[in-house]
Amino acid sequence: MPIDLFLPNQFLIVLLSSLFAALAASFLGAFIVVKRMALVGDILSHVALPGIGLALLVNIDPIYGAAAFLLLAAFGTWFIEKKTALPPDAVIGTFFTATLALGVLLVPNQELFESMFGNLFAIRFYDAVVIVIASVAIFVLTLILSRRLILSIAAPDLAKSIGAKPDNSYLCFLLLFALSVALGIKLIGSALMGALTILPAVSARNLSWSFKSFLSFSVILGVLMTGSGIIIARVFDFPPGPSVVLTGILFFIISLLFKKS
Amino acid sequence: MSQLDYKHYRNHEHSAKSILEVRGLSVSFDNQEVLKDVSFDVDEGEIMAIIGPNGAGKSVLFRALMNLISYDGGIKWRADVQIGYVPQKLFEKAELPLTVKEFFILKSKNLFFKDKRLVESIFHELKSVGLKPDILNQQLINLSRGQFQRVLIAWAILGHPNVLLFDEPTAGIDVAGEGSVYNLLHKLQNERGMTVLIISHDLNIVYRYADKVLCLNKEGLCFGEPKKTLTSEQIERLYGESAFYRHAH
Repeated sequence: MPIDLFLPNQFLIVLLSSLFAALAASFLGAFIVVKRMALVGDILSHVALPGIGLALLVNIDPIYGAAAFLLLAAFGTWFIEKKTALPPDAVIGTFFTATLALGVLLVPNQELFESMFGNLFAIRFYDAVVIVIASVAIFVLTLILSRRLILSIAAPDLAKSIGAKPDNSYLCFLLLFALSVALGIKLIGSALMGALTILPAVSARNLSWSFKSFLSFSVILGVLMTGSGIIIARVFDFPPGPSVVLTGILFFIISLLFKKS
Repeated sequence: MSQLDYKHYRNHEHSAKSILEVRGLSVSFDNQEVLKDVSFDVDEGEIMAIIGPNGAGKSVLFRALMNLISYDGGIKWRADVQIGYVPQKLFEKAELPLTVKEFFILKSKNLFFKDKRLVESIFHELKSVGLKPDILNQQLINLSRGQFQRVLIAWAILGHPNVLLFDEPTAGIDVAGEGSVYNLLHKLQNERGMTVLIISHDLNIVYRYADKVLCLNKEGLCFGEPKKTLTSEQIERLYGESAFYRHAH
């Protein structure tokens, strides 16, 4: 098979799928940070646990169980936030405690650890194809949505005044984000997925002079931190998740030097 | 038609020139009435000021007029009306690194691709609010209040709406700057025949610029020409006894 020429071994499969997952996550992360939902992303990722547990019980790929629960939680968050005017972090926090309890009940110990901290090297070729295609789709959809999304974040009333529907853009955004988290869980796990969304964006915020540069830096840094993190993990035989996150932290510290106060 | 002729004409053909009719408008949030039975008319090309104390429902009225919230009663805009809206403020804290240019592009109907016509009209609108093109690359958060106000106005009039809803900031524009923003609104009314509805906190401005005034304190307390309508008793009724205002003729 000619594709084997490009993907000769497990390491490249891991590297490629991680880079694409990072592309989607760090792009969405930029919006997460300016909407002040940084912790929401972190918490949302744990919502996947019971989905993973259920998927394991009925013997299907955990990534689909995670995706189903995440999408459900994203929709639920949107709906409850709209109905009650509770802030999104409070709503997602409620989901989180419920699902963490369920997750611990449902997920066997070894699997629980894996879903919280990922297991890059369990990725197969087929998983990588799904991750790459889904990540590109998420990235493109977010790009198309971005003007409406920025306006909805900056000024919901202005958005409505020109006939946009901020509620709908927000829902699409949450669903895209839930999907991107589901992809990342397989790779670096739910505990560290939050870092992959937040870290590139906060570093990019320190470097940027416009929204375009902010988005670009966020994606570039996300891909860079993931790539170098995984290579470092490979060379020094570290677990990849923490290695990626710590590389991101290093980028953040460097970005502080560029911040004009 | 000169401005005088136009006013004359307008007075005689009142109903034909009406651009907005509001009848018995009420708005409630959680069973609390925020607006109660408000009625008024606006003619094309008029400046109408809306005044009232804090919490009188002025911004709520705007939101109802833009059909952003549900209400009881009737709001009838003329069929060809396009509304431009100038909010009091945008985001609370400076989280978004938006440049002025990027902010304008958000108004594009194109979700993704470049909108050449829009970019060209941005230059035109910047000029008409008295800003130089080099402001386009500055970030919104670095603008002075006066500049920011003008950017918001330029954003609202981009695409040439025929009605402008202007929610004046409660504080922060210095008097000299304020005068010029109102001159600007007046200019837009004159040159483009725009109808302007303005929520104002400054009665001097109302006397100077408005053709009509609506006093609002949950219900409409008075409506008409400022000089006839805004008697000192009326103002006292509207703002309470603490209000101190002397109208210098």
